[in-house]
Amino acid sequence: MNKNKEQLLNKRYKAEQRFRLYGLSAIFMAFLFLTIFIFKIFSTGYSAFQKTWLIVPVTFDAELMMLDQNPSKEDLQDADYYDIALKSMADLDPNANEDQENELKRMVSYFFEKEIKNELLNDPNLIGKTKEVYLTASDDLDQVFKGNYPRDLPEDQRRVSDYQLKIFDQLVANGKVESKFNISFFTNADSREAELAGIASSFMGSIFSILVCLMIAFPVAVLAAIYLEEFAPKNRFTDFIEVNINNLAAVPSIVFGLLGLGVLLAIFQLPRSTPLVGGITLSLMTLPTIIIAARASLKAVPPSIREAALAMGASRMQTTMHHTVPLSMPGTLSGTIIGLAQALGETAPLILIGMVAFVNTIPGSPMDPAASLPVQIYIWAESAERGFVEKVSACIMVLLGFLIIMNLFAQIIRHKFEKKWS
Amino acid sequence: MIKIKAKDVDVFYGKKQALFNISLDIEENQVTALIGPSGCGKSTFLRCLNRMNDVIDICSVKGEILINDFNINDKSCDVVRLREKIGMVFQKPNPFPKTLYENVSYGPTIHGMAQSKQEMDEIVETSLKKAALWEEVKDRLHEPGTGLSGGQQQRLCIARAISVRPEVILMDEPCSALDPIATAQIEELIDELKKEHTIIIVTHSMAQAARVSQNTGFFHLGQLIEHGSTDKIFKNPDNKKTQDYITGRFG
Repeated sequence: MNKNKEQLLNKRYKAEQRFRLYGLSAIFMAFLFLTIFIFKIFSTGYSAFQKTWLIVPVTFDAELMMLDQNPSKEDLQDADYYDIALKSMADLDPNANEDQENELKRMVSYFFEKEIKNELLNDPNLIGKTKEVYLTASDDLDQVFKGNYPRDLPEDQRRVSDYQLKIFDQLVANGKVESKFNISFFTNADSREAELAGIASSFMGSIFSILVCLMIAFPVAVLAAIYLEEFAPKNRFTDFIEVNINNLAAVPSIVFGLLGLGVLLAIFQLPRSTPLVGGITLSLMTLPTIIIAARASLKAVPPSIREAALAMGASRMQTTMHHTVPLSMPGTLSGTIIGLAQALGETAPLILIGMVAFVNTIPGSPMDPAASLPVQIYIWAESAERGFVEKVSACIMVLLGFLIIMNLFAQIIRHKFEKKWS
Repeated sequence: MIKIKAKDVDVFYGKKQALFNISLDIEENQVTALIGPSGCGKSTFLRCLNRMNDVIDICSVKGEILINDFNINDKSCDVVRLREKIGMVFQKPNPFPKTLYENVSYGPTIHGMAQSKQEMDEIVETSLKKAALWEEVKDRLHEPGTGLSGGQQQRLCIARAISVRPEVILMDEPCSALDPIATAQIEELIDELKKEHTIIIVTHSMAQAARVSQNTGFFHLGQLIEHGSTDKIFKNPDNKKTQDYITGRFG
């Protein structure tokens, strides 16, 4: 009898130990996957925050630019920079033939003409002089410099020719290639050229979408939750509504995208590809999440507080507005932020309403066409050029950073404003 | 003088009847204790008097309850007005999670009882003094009310209830969550308060009923078995059930 008991006890302890082991290994697995994921993203993405510049001497030849003596500001604006730009690239190799001159030109971004122009506009005294100008390297050379380029492939399988590599190596040896922090990644809109593409358009698009989403979803959801929780009679009809709200939260997001396409674009004729439409579509998606969070936090307010207020002669409205709602706000707000964070990462509905379009301008309002961060990731991931690979990871890093900040904010609100009741 | 007159009050929770034909008169400026075993309906009856049962969807009340000869179950009765006149203190101290000052000033604020900050300060001070809490908290009026001890919280709730100068105060087992010392303080307070207010107290403790009340009603299974002066109920009850309960044979 006693022996049996002993065995049973041992068995129970062993079962507990096994259970702990399972739990630990589950956590370890989750941690491992997360680490691999983050390591992969960072190791591919960090180089996108550096940009390679070629330092090329440019002679600002007034004649080649078709400038008179003492040119005005407008003259400088209208001047022809193509020839001096071309010439300065060609001068990198005095012995180059015509084909090679073309190859030399393709070593920098097509933006090089503008970069030279800006240099002169900043300092008009440069006319007739020679100055070393920083020109954005082409995305392939950028990758070569960062060591991501397979130089050992046969030449006909590479986009960078042996000749270009030779000149580039010379420039590197002379210290004429420099790597600097990639400001344009944050200030440029999207571009077909990887070296010029940035996230400004999609970042602003995401911000505008989230703001539109917040402004629509938050008030509607909070009012709905307050009504359902505090005022609505409990009957079959309200039960039915409750079930439907819960179902709505489980609807795949692409369905909301179709709704936005069919209703907002087709019937209401709202402008396509805009954060306005994106935000409205996302708000439909976020609505049930916020309603559920708000109702849960209203439910968590102890009934004794409501009774106390009612017994003091507060009307139902006063009880709700003075006591219940303020007490439920921390929970509601953190639920809202988590709903918004979900919306921020949403891609499918935005693709359907046209926010996947190639947008190379930075939106100034929710009515301007824009992309959004997750859609930008999708667009870049589809692009063939090697230069976009690191951009995808860098964009994911920005999006993750954004999400982490939002979730942190939700945590802070929850901890700081949560009041303890007796 | 009779303050509250209940006539044939029936209460239903859905289809289940919780109170049967309760008729009870409550004397002004006296303490009336409602006693009886758990689930006998005494709290339900108490909540009829300020219509707190309205909050429960499935609860319905029939019969007349006259306060100052006005039937509060009448459609023309405004519950907000009614609850201004009839304060309530609950079983578990339930101060608002706000400062002490805000707790006491809440009632006067929503009923527009103070014209100035000074007047409000006075109301808060007198209410806290009457609740015998002033000396303990006068230096920390702007700290949260939930930081007080249980007994202090309950006195804060009493201060909150009397801040709107109600005619009647309903107390639903106000001492059940308190230790004996805090209980003694509250009982002393009840004795003081009855000078200005009519008090109805639900209690589980027969000793407490005997100590604080002038009148007692004994409830059992939803019926008012017997009521009368506390002396008579405790010393010489008419009904055998009352006798059994008082002497501790059941309940």
